Amino acid sequence: MASHPSDSATPRGEPWVWFTSLGLIVGLTMVAGLLALVIVNGLSVFWAPAVPTLTLSDGSTVIGQLAQRRIRPGSPAADLRFERQYQVGLRELNGNSYSWLDEQKITAETINPTLLGLERMENGPAFVVPVTLVDDQGKSFLAADPAFLPALQAGLVAVQVVREKLHDINRGQIGAVNAEMESLRIALRRAEDRREATEEIKARLAKLDNQFTDLKLAAEKVTASSSAALLTVRDAAGRELKLPLASLVRAWQPNQMSFGDRLGLFFSRLREFLFAEPREANTEGGLMPAIFGTLVMTVFMSLLVTPFGVIAAIYLREYAQDGAVLRMVRISVNNLAGVPSIVFGVFGLGFFVYVLGGSLDRLFFADQLKYNNNTPVFGTGGLLWCSLTLALMTLPVVIVATEEALSAVPRGMREASLAAGASKWQTIRDILLPASAPGILTGVILAMARGAGEVAPLMLVGVVKLAPTLPFDGLAPFLHLDRKFMHLGFHIYDLGFQSPDSDAARPMVFATTLLLIVLVVCLNLGAITIRNRLRARFKGASF
Amino acid sequence: MDITDKKRPTDAPSEARFQVSRLTLWTDLWMGRLIRVGGIGVVLAVIGMMAFLVLQVLPLFSGAQVTPSAPVKLTAPAVAFGEDEYGELPYTIDAQGVIRFQRSRDSSLVQTWRPAADTPAVHSVRSYPREGLVVLGLADGSVQQVQVTYKTTFATQGQRSVEPLVTMAPPVQVGKVGVPCLEAWSVQSSSGRLLLCRQKVAGRDALIAMRLTERKGLGGKAKVTAGAPFAIAADVPDLERVLVPSTADSVVVIRKDGEVRVYAEQGESIDLLQSFRPFTGVSDQRVSAAGFIFGNVSIVFANPTGVEEVWSLYPQKQPDGRSLRRWGKIHDTEPLGGAGEGIYPAVGNKCYLTVANGKMEIRNMTTGSVRWAGPAPTAGVQQVVFDRNYERFTALTKDGALQRWAIVDHHPEASFSAFFGKIWYEGAEGPDYTWQSSSGSDEFEAKYSLVPLFYGTVKGTVFALLFALPIALLAAIYVSQFLRPEWRQVVKPTMEIMASLPSVVLGFLAGLWLAPLVDTNLLKLLCVILVLAPTALLAGFMWSLLPQPVRRRVGPGWEFIWLMPFLCLVGWAAWQAAPWVETTFFTVKDLASGQNVADFREWWRQTSGWTYDSRNSLVVGFVMGFAVIPIVFTIAEDALSNVPTSLISGSLACGASRWQTVWRVVVPTAISGIVSAVMIGFGRAVGETMIVVMATGNTPVMESNPFSGMRTLSANIAVELPEAAIGHTHYRALFLGACGLFLLTFIINTLAEILRQRLRERYKVV
Repeated sequence: MASHPSDSATPRGEPWVWFTSLGLIVGLTMVAGLLALVIVNGLSVFWAPAVPTLTLSDGSTVIGQLAQRRIRPGSPAADLRFERQYQVGLRELNGNSYSWLDEQKITAETINPTLLGLERMENGPAFVVPVTLVDDQGKSFLAADPAFLPALQAGLVAVQVVREKLHDINRGQIGAVNAEMESLRIALRRAEDRREATEEIKARLAKLDNQFTDLKLAAEKVTASSSAALLTVRDAAGRELKLPLASLVRAWQPNQMSFGDRLGLFFSRLREFLFAEPREANTEGGLMPAIFGTLVMTVFMSLLVTPFGVIAAIYLREYAQDGAVLRMVRISVNNLAGVPSIVFGVFGLGFFVYVLGGSLDRLFFADQLKYNNNTPVFGTGGLLWCSLTLALMTLPVVIVATEEALSAVPRGMREASLAAGASKWQTIRDILLPASAPGILTGVILAMARGAGEVAPLMLVGVVKLAPTLPFDGLAPFLHLDRKFMHLGFHIYDLGFQSPDSDAARPMVFATTLLLIVLVVCLNLGAITIRNRLRARFKGASF
Repeated sequence: MDITDKKRPTDAPSEARFQVSRLTLWTDLWMGRLIRVGGIGVVLAVIGMMAFLVLQVLPLFSGAQVTPSAPVKLTAPAVAFGEDEYGELPYTIDAQGVIRFQRSRDSSLVQTWRPAADTPAVHSVRSYPREGLVVLGLADGSVQQVQVTYKTTFATQGQRSVEPLVTMAPPVQVGKVGVPCLEAWSVQSSSGRLLLCRQKVAGRDALIAMRLTERKGLGGKAKVTAGAPFAIAADVPDLERVLVPSTADSVVVIRKDGEVRVYAEQGESIDLLQSFRPFTGVSDQRVSAAGFIFGNVSIVFANPTGVEEVWSLYPQKQPDGRSLRRWGKIHDTEPLGGAGEGIYPAVGNKCYLTVANGKMEIRNMTTGSVRWAGPAPTAGVQQVVFDRNYERFTALTKDGALQRWAIVDHHPEASFSAFFGKIWYEGAEGPDYTWQSSSGSDEFEAKYSLVPLFYGTVKGTVFALLFALPIALLAAIYVSQFLRPEWRQVVKPTMEIMASLPSVVLGFLAGLWLAPLVDTNLLKLLCVILVLAPTALLAGFMWSLLPQPVRRRVGPGWEFIWLMPFLCLVGWAAWQAAPWVETTFFTVKDLASGQNVADFREWWRQTSGWTYDSRNSLVVGFVMGFAVIPIVFTIAEDALSNVPTSLISGSLACGASRWQTVWRVVVPTAISGIVSAVMIGFGRAVGETMIVVMATGNTPVMESNPFSGMRTLSANIAVELPEAAIGHTHYRALFLGACGLFLLTFIINTLAEILRQRLRERYKVV
């Protein structure tokens, strides 16, 4: 006879309880580990550590920033040997900005306090020993001179000012003239084809052409005015290099900066990352177009999905007749949330881009098509189709959330409103919608989070690795729905897997990953918080 | 209440006061209509999406539409013909070698060309319509080539006019002098032109060949030098028919008894490569019709009883162990229903036209499907020519008419068996499921089998679920039943955050961070994973041995905190012990260096015979776990915590331990919810795209090896759809894959939803 449980010292199956806790531990470890990995790797991109000078056993020296350390491939288990990857920079001389060094071959590691880290417009960073600086006025500073660094930084600031001026002319003004010329050229071709008067168009074109030449001249003038200052440095092998200041972005002394200086550099790089445009095949510079593109697309998507989702939910909850059909419709809508996103992409490409976009082009842009080498306007991927595709994909999220919120509104409120003589629409407008607004908002935020992180369908309907223009700018009609745009998620995919120099792209990918995760997690946390408050509010309120 | 009574107005309120304002009613009506229209519209849009996908796929499964057009009436009987690119001005050649150009619109004779007066009598005529070449076999055993070219001029109004031009090259003495040339061929190879002449010498069939090599001189004028004539198949006394592929690298000779001999270019000479007999096991082994298929690596044979076989060149194991490209049968097609009279290949794809028993059929060689069947001209067919774009074919009938058919067949290579069947492709060693959608050559045989993609999808899903399900379900049981409530407030949002991680992030980490890590530390990770479960059980067992006061002080719901250091310790030990395990159990001889190495990967390669890729299914499964675990966890946890407390209390009151309660009461009650959680997790894993694109090699292989990659349906779409031409078979095949994904996930999710609703009803009863 089995003993009574309370007599027994050990209840049955206690090890299994512990076993189930293993699932929780692994799950939590996975989340925490992943977040930690991304945060550490993503933030360390902006941090400037000390840069050692290494002497190798063959007598050569290497200057570089430690990137990673790993077991040498093929090293025996009994005698593990490690190797380290250093970012050595100076791609034009070293051929590669990263190099692996056998740990056993490193004989000495010294810290050279005068070492200079340089971020450059081309060929990646450089870690060098400064020699002299000749500034704009021809004044020369030796590296040991205390005025050397201030003069260098002042020169860099001047360079930056010129660069911004140039960018303003090239992108802003010349871009606007170019856009106008392009549309005039199409008009000219059409007029010629129809044998209409072309004089006026030609005159305007000529005027624009003049403007264009003037701007080009202005740009050249600005380029000529850029700093003639020259920085002479020596690389690890002792080769002397002359770097024009105009080719540099940033300079720092990795081995004698204070913590505050490092922090300053950290935020300066972070600012560039968030607000500047990409350089060097997206592996350096900033992410502004991608952030902007993601934002515009997500906002536009939520503007599309919210009204339709809410109307559909109101219909399903308040108007549709209860029955088998409604149940089926509801299940179908729910299940649409489980349909793979790539299927929506396929639909978006096949229907939105080719069918809808193709017909739009034929109806409204026939001229453009005819006189612009058949370049499609809407018949190719673009912002509008991306937003529509994602709106369709996130529609079930909003519908389900809204339906849930509507059904959580206590029946008493509804009945009180109707009893007080309000019409059905008045009840919906004044009672149901305000009460369920947080729930709807939760749904919309969840939809935005899903939309912001989704890549697979966008690859098919209009995201590109490098867009020359933003989807939203100062040229009429301001919001360019037909334009292709950059997207954070696609940026990660493209940089990580299509980039020719994957080592150089790695830091940027981690930083982008961190940004995307922060964005998505913040949106989700917001949704979770609102939902939890909502639950507390309606707890026990139901009749 | 006297005071209020006094204040009440004496008059009754007006009727209008109780009337609803018109505006309110009107708004209500219209908003109601608007919402109905909007709501139904959204629901219809959802259904429309499915309909659109299906509509895109349907054309794949329709056959060819072939419509005859008015025949061109020939002014004289002809034996061969050719035509221009647009089919406007075909030419016919009669038995005397006279070429006549007739407008296809009104059959009017435009131009007639006759061989020069001193040309010996013409004994045979062969037309190569694609090159505009006519080869005449002459009475003195020489071969005469006549070139037909068209000059197309475009007038201002977009009208074009076609003008023919005929040029004659001097005759080449290929055959024995004075003996008539009964059949003549001329084909261009990469090195020059090959001329063939068939003669009857002393009652025996003779086939004589000659090479013309063309060398560009300094002046830019090509100089043609004729090589010495040589005999092919000198040992064959009876020739039934001879096939010469347009590549000119071989000559196929078919004897009267059905033996096929292939003579192939080997260095300078053309020697016997192989002889074989089609129709083994068939009563009549004679060959009544044969033809090369576009690409020149397959031949279709038909026999007098209507049996049809496809033979192709593919690598075959020889008795001495070498693998050589030899001819072998790859398809048995549907019987023709009568003696095969002719086999004519299409250009640009693997279709061919058969004429048998008064019927014509367009068949696809790859899939064996009959694209179209229709009546053949009653008089019989002499020659059939397809145009370059597979848009029409023209037949020269035996009674001297030129009949033309227009073909509308956008997807000749598609059929049910093309997508789901095992097919023996050209050049393959056996029938197989293959996905290979594009290639540099246009003679390429597209391979659209979706089976390896479905296999890859299922494989990825299985590995993901193998990893994710235990973790998610254990965590769900623990969190819903054992964990302290204050911890639950933290754990559930954490899991939701996990669900929100973008898959591109997971894919990137899998491909660039985890895959290299796993590659170098494979066995260590495997060891750690293997010890985790026993460690947890052991820890629980040891815990239960502790005296009750100690256990009570800690209290239930904290197990996972206590387990953590224990797990870390054992995990670390396993990590450290892994090199020892590797040297003890997985030391193998390295094939490259011949030394003994302790390498699990090499051991795996040698022991299993499978490959080892660094981006493998284990990595994908692990990372896909991030996507699947939170979904399964959330739904299963919901189901488990919705089990009525009365059941749990009852069980505990009866004396069951907490584990017994969970295992015997809670889990069985919530089982349909748990199953639906698993199904929804399955649906999520099936459709996952970016992780698979980035973390596998994307090779469409079919092996269950956990250390190799796969290509899933979704990844395949993401990679190939941007490059697929709209409306092309490839494009629609990808849509078919998308349809498959849609249906699969939709059905699974619906079943899961129904299960969940059933569960909900059960709780209502309790």
